[in-house]
Order: sequence, then C-alpha cells, then structure tokens
Amino acid sequence: MEQFRKKLKIRISWLSVLSLTTALMGVYYVFFAPETIKNITVFEFQGGASVAICILSSLNIIKYIKILKDDNKLQLKCNKENDERFKIIKSKAGIPIVPVLSVLMIMSGIIAGYFNITVFYTLIIVAMCQILISGIIKLIYIKKM
Amino acid sequence: MKTKIAELRKEKKMSQEELALAVGVTRQTITSIEVEKYVASLPLAYKIAHYFNMSIEEVFDFSQIDD
Repeated sequence: MEQFRKKLKIRISWLSVLSLTTALMGVYYVFFAPETIKNITVFEFQGGASVAICILSSLNIIKYIKILKDDNKLQLKCNKENDERFKIIKSKAGIPIVPVLSVLMIMSGIIAGYFNITVFYTLIIVAMCQILISGIIKLIYIKKM
Repeated sequence: MKTKIAELRKEKKMSQEELALAVGVTRQTITSIEVEKYVASLPLAYKIAHYFNMSIEEVFDFSQIDD
C-alpha cells in the first residue's frame, strides 16, 4: 500500500509539471503570441489542447489528493489498478500503446500542420479514430468478461 | 467455470465488495467470476480459496475442464 501511495505522489508531481507547463503555454497563446499566427487553425487547436490538458491534469491532481487522504479509497484505487481482469481488458484494448501512439500522432500532426494542413487533419482524425476504437474494444470486453 | 463463491459469501454474510477488498480485486471481477464470465487466475483462485479456508478444488469446479 505504501508503494502505491508513493506511486500516486509521483503521479501528482508529474501532473503538476504538466499542468503548469500547459497553463504557461495557454498564457503565451493568449497574451504573447504574434498576431500573425493567432488565426492559424493548428495554432488554435494547439491552444485548445493545452487548455484541455491543463484542466484534465488539474482535475486528476485533485482526485489523487482526495484518494491519498482516504485509506479506503486508496485501497479501492490500488485494487482497481492491480485488478487482473482489468489488466487483461486493457491489454486487449491496446492500452497504453494506442493512447501513447495517438498522442505522438497528434504532436506530429501539430508540427506538420504548420507546413501542410491536410497532413494535420489526417493525423488528428487517425489519432481520434484509434482512441475511439480502443475505447469501444474496452467497453466490449468489459461487457464480455 | 462454476464456483461456490456466491454460496460461501452468503454463508459468511459478506458482500462482493468486502470479498473484493480482501483479495485485492474489484467488485466487478468478483461478479464476473460468480456469473462464470471470467475465469480467475491461479493466484486469485488461491487467494479466494485461502480466504474461505478451503482448497481451490473445493471452491472452483474443475469437472468441466477437458483433459
């Protein structure tokens, strides 16, 4: 249990770094970015994604802090993360490989988008489809197993 | 695979949640094992059987498994 507590604390620190970085990026987009690039679709997407990541990581930090305060919730979370059935379901749905690949695809899509907007749209759609399919497979196996 | 988990639980008057917490899995996993949707791994089967002070064969029915 102590090991899991440490794991959550490490997760909180990484999420704090992510949250702070994306918040700073958001501030840059709104106040300091040059007007010439502000109307580019890729730039707007990048800004939106940063804000979404910032909000999600902040919410997760709050969730983990609440879990750390309650031993019962901590035990439940620990059981959920180490549950053998969920591990099998996740591996069947390609987690964590599919989400990692999707994030890499989105990042490369953003970079490529500054040169060719078609590549940007293609990579974003493929990444979204990947995540969607993985989610559907996960739901199917949750029902099936 | 058929199991006696539900019966043993009822005898002990305990919920799925309590058993799940004791053996380190989620309530959904206990439900899936009870309704024969999921076959528990050997370590989990051992933990469940050990919890009820029984052997694995007494809790899980292996008669339907082919040789």
